[in-house]
Amino acid sequence: MSSSADTLVRGPAGGRAPHGLDTGRGRPDGVLGLRLALWLVCAGVVLLPLAVIVALGLSADRLQLLLQGDVLEAGRNSLVSALVSAAGAVAVGTALALLVERTDLRGRGALRLLALSPLLVPPFVGAIAWIGLAGPASTVNRAWTEATGGPLWVVYGGDGVVFLLVVHGFPVAYLVVAAALRRIPSDLEQAARTSGAGPWRTVRDVTLPLLRPAALSAFTLVAISNLADFGIPSIVGLPEGYVTLSTLVYRYLQSGTVDAPLEVVATIGMVLLALAVLGVLLDVVAGRSRWELEASATASAPVSLGRARALASTVTWVLVAGVTLLPLWALATQALLPAPGVPLTWDNLTLDSLTRALTAPTTVTGLQNSLWLSLLAGVVCAAVGLAIATLVTRTRSRDNGALRAVAMLPQAIPGLVIAVGWLVLAPRIGLFNTPWLILAAYVTAFVALVVQTVSAPLRATPLTAEEAARVAGASRLRAFVDVSARMALPAATTGGVLVVLTAVRELTISALLLSPGSQTLGVAIFNLQQAGAYNAASALSLLVTIVGLAGARLAARQAA
Amino acid sequence: MSSVSFSAVGLVYPGGAPGLTDIDLEIADGEFLALVGPSGSGKTTLLRTLAGFLAPTSGTLRIGGQVVADGTRSTPPEDRRLGMVFQQHAIWPHWSVGRNVEYPLRLAGTARRERTARVREVLDLVGLGGLEARNPATLSGGQRQRVALARALAARPRLLLLDEALSALDEPLRDRLRLELRALTASMGLTVLHVTHDRAEALALADRVAVLDGGRLQQVDAPEALVRRPASALVARFLSDATVLPGTRDGAGFTADGHPCRVPAQALSDEPGGTGRGSLAVLPDDVELLSPAGADRSQVGIVASSLFGRDASDVVVTWHGLDVRCRTRGPRPSVGEAVRVGVRRAVFYLDVAAARQPVAPATGVLA
Repeated sequence: MSSSADTLVRGPAGGRAPHGLDTGRGRPDGVLGLRLALWLVCAGVVLLPLAVIVALGLSADRLQLLLQGDVLEAGRNSLVSALVSAAGAVAVGTALALLVERTDLRGRGALRLLALSPLLVPPFVGAIAWIGLAGPASTVNRAWTEATGGPLWVVYGGDGVVFLLVVHGFPVAYLVVAAALRRIPSDLEQAARTSGAGPWRTVRDVTLPLLRPAALSAFTLVAISNLADFGIPSIVGLPEGYVTLSTLVYRYLQSGTVDAPLEVVATIGMVLLALAVLGVLLDVVAGRSRWELEASATASAPVSLGRARALASTVTWVLVAGVTLLPLWALATQALLPAPGVPLTWDNLTLDSLTRALTAPTTVTGLQNSLWLSLLAGVVCAAVGLAIATLVTRTRSRDNGALRAVAMLPQAIPGLVIAVGWLVLAPRIGLFNTPWLILAAYVTAFVALVVQTVSAPLRATPLTAEEAARVAGASRLRAFVDVSARMALPAATTGGVLVVLTAVRELTISALLLSPGSQTLGVAIFNLQQAGAYNAASALSLLVTIVGLAGARLAARQAA
Repeated sequence: MSSVSFSAVGLVYPGGAPGLTDIDLEIADGEFLALVGPSGSGKTTLLRTLAGFLAPTSGTLRIGGQVVADGTRSTPPEDRRLGMVFQQHAIWPHWSVGRNVEYPLRLAGTARRERTARVREVLDLVGLGGLEARNPATLSGGQRQRVALARALAARPRLLLLDEALSALDEPLRDRLRLELRALTASMGLTVLHVTHDRAEALALADRVAVLDGGRLQQVDAPEALVRRPASALVARFLSDATVLPGTRDGAGFTADGHPCRVPAQALSDEPGGTGRGSLAVLPDDVELLSPAGADRSQVGIVASSLFGRDASDVVVTWHGLDVRCRTRGPRPSVGEAVRVGVRRAVFYLDVAAARQPVAPATGVLA
């Protein structure tokens, strides 16, 4: 490295700054060029599609459309299901985080993995699985109908949508809250104990209030992602006529029942965008009052549950295993049975659904499309995300906050809105009806994933690492490439793998941006499900889940 | 206010690692006891056992004559009526200063009017009168530590535990708070256990100091006695940076193993006495640096470092592979200078302790 290091970058600003390391700000050098380039990328990939929605939504003067019966009802359903499910997810996630991270519950390590597993299952696959478990033709409901004349509980409808949104939202809440919980110095809780508070009183008076900001973030995060989820309401909600904004948009785009569907959809997208921005603002305002917590000296000892330990362990295990393992089991049996309702015996098990699903030409193209689209998205997102995250965490500049906020913005915006933005943009940039459109939308939606993965570990390292490089004679760009970016590389790789894993199983964006020949795996499964090929859909879903699990192991190993 | 009594207290961690072994320690009512020891010696373990965050696996622990832990059962911390100040102050950031200080009173079920009065009283006591409504985030580090102290004192605890309570503060502030703390606890007659890694602080503050190493109590004594008559070479080395040499004592004096150091019998302290194999501890104050002129080459060392001190310079002399720590008054020798090392006085410890725990390798660096 050493000989080329001296000759490579030594621009006008590359020489050693005579007065301090932080000079060179504003002067044109490599880092400034990189900063401008990244701003351009962000503007094109993030700001443009969003701006287009707002422009079209406002110009068309179709705001009165929103007060139409259909849209109004769908909007209400979306809002209610998102808020209720987010509240439920935060409640479940917080309770579980407290139990798993702070008590002596049995088998906490395994329970944590199990509780996080719904993250690896795309929501629409979860919905297909739950139909096998609690659909009208499921074993449980048929048995109950025979015994009592009516089914026990059918997952179809609004309650099912909310329930599934909670199941798929609580792991996110768990992650956010558990991370905050680990940052609370154990001293604060021990101080309460020595002040005379018992373990539960300590949780109520000290731990929970300190978790409030994290719980609020988790709430906005889950609420926004649930606001425009497509898979769950379309698979579980539509059979009972429970329409949400995302399913309504899909119907408008697919069936052409309204005039100028793009403009209508853009108007709806604008409303969702406004809601998302509102959520972000709420989170920022709440974050203002967030306090700085100092690192703890001593690890906290888990609180003993005492006599309630056995009972609490059993109940938690049964509940968590029930919502995570049972649907997978249902998925597996459906995948191995020839048709719904066929009794589960050894003789009836068959791999036919699996082979039929896998060899169908639509599946094969879907698989191919998903693979190359997600791999490309992973590479692009890893590169762009690495550069942005490193730049905003490892250099000092006034626009860092803005750049980071723009890059992270799509995470707070429903995939539906992003898809609509690109859809509106497509004819103008010549990407209409091409798979490239899906790739562009993937990059918009998932670059935040890498930025986030990379920022966290980088922020923990003091800036002296780069300062040492500058003192050793490196230019700003040189120090950036050799020290900052090098440190960020492992995290960026992990982030890229996460993007591939997420994109390969994506449904909302791919379903809305569908064009002839660009069907993805998610769309293939969705179409099979809509066409009534439940067993084939289950078979593919099972494969997707297994691939997700394997990929997650890979990501975990890379991160380690 | 109460006494504390550890009898034969032992603690083995779940992994099997011993935390404390056979601790016998009495803290009298109103006594200020400091606990020192090298890092990993079990100081924090002992404190957390007394607080109730760890349960001893054997022995009996009493506070005010009442058994709080006996190897099978352990009273939880909230029922021990303690005050505790943590190194990182542990002020609850979501409450005001007043609410922080009030919390123990609230839990004790004190009436509202009385609570307000008591909060004002303890805040006055720590010099923060009138700051009840302040957000802790707006306070300086020293002020936060005072709030933590006020909170610990608010409910009139039986016992005050200080866990490196002053260690996170900057030097001049630490000095001032040290004085205030001593005056405050003395005037209130509080029983205090103060864990610190700062030897000077322990010696300056405490009525008695306990030295812990490897989970065992090495010596518990008044500061003067600890410095003058350390019970073992290890205590001398830890508390006073004594130089320790393995060797043999006979009627004529001490002969070091593989080192030219000889100490005549009259320079050896009478206590603990005895002849045979053992270790010699030489306190820095008992080393004199003399002119090398005419001395045997084996008695001459080279000054390796020479640091200025207010009342005596801190000098390290490398003598035949051994680093000897000494405090010299008068002219400060310069680094590289040749000096003859003289031992005015030394203490010899027979090898009972040394057999259990090798005190010094033959050519070790012991400064």
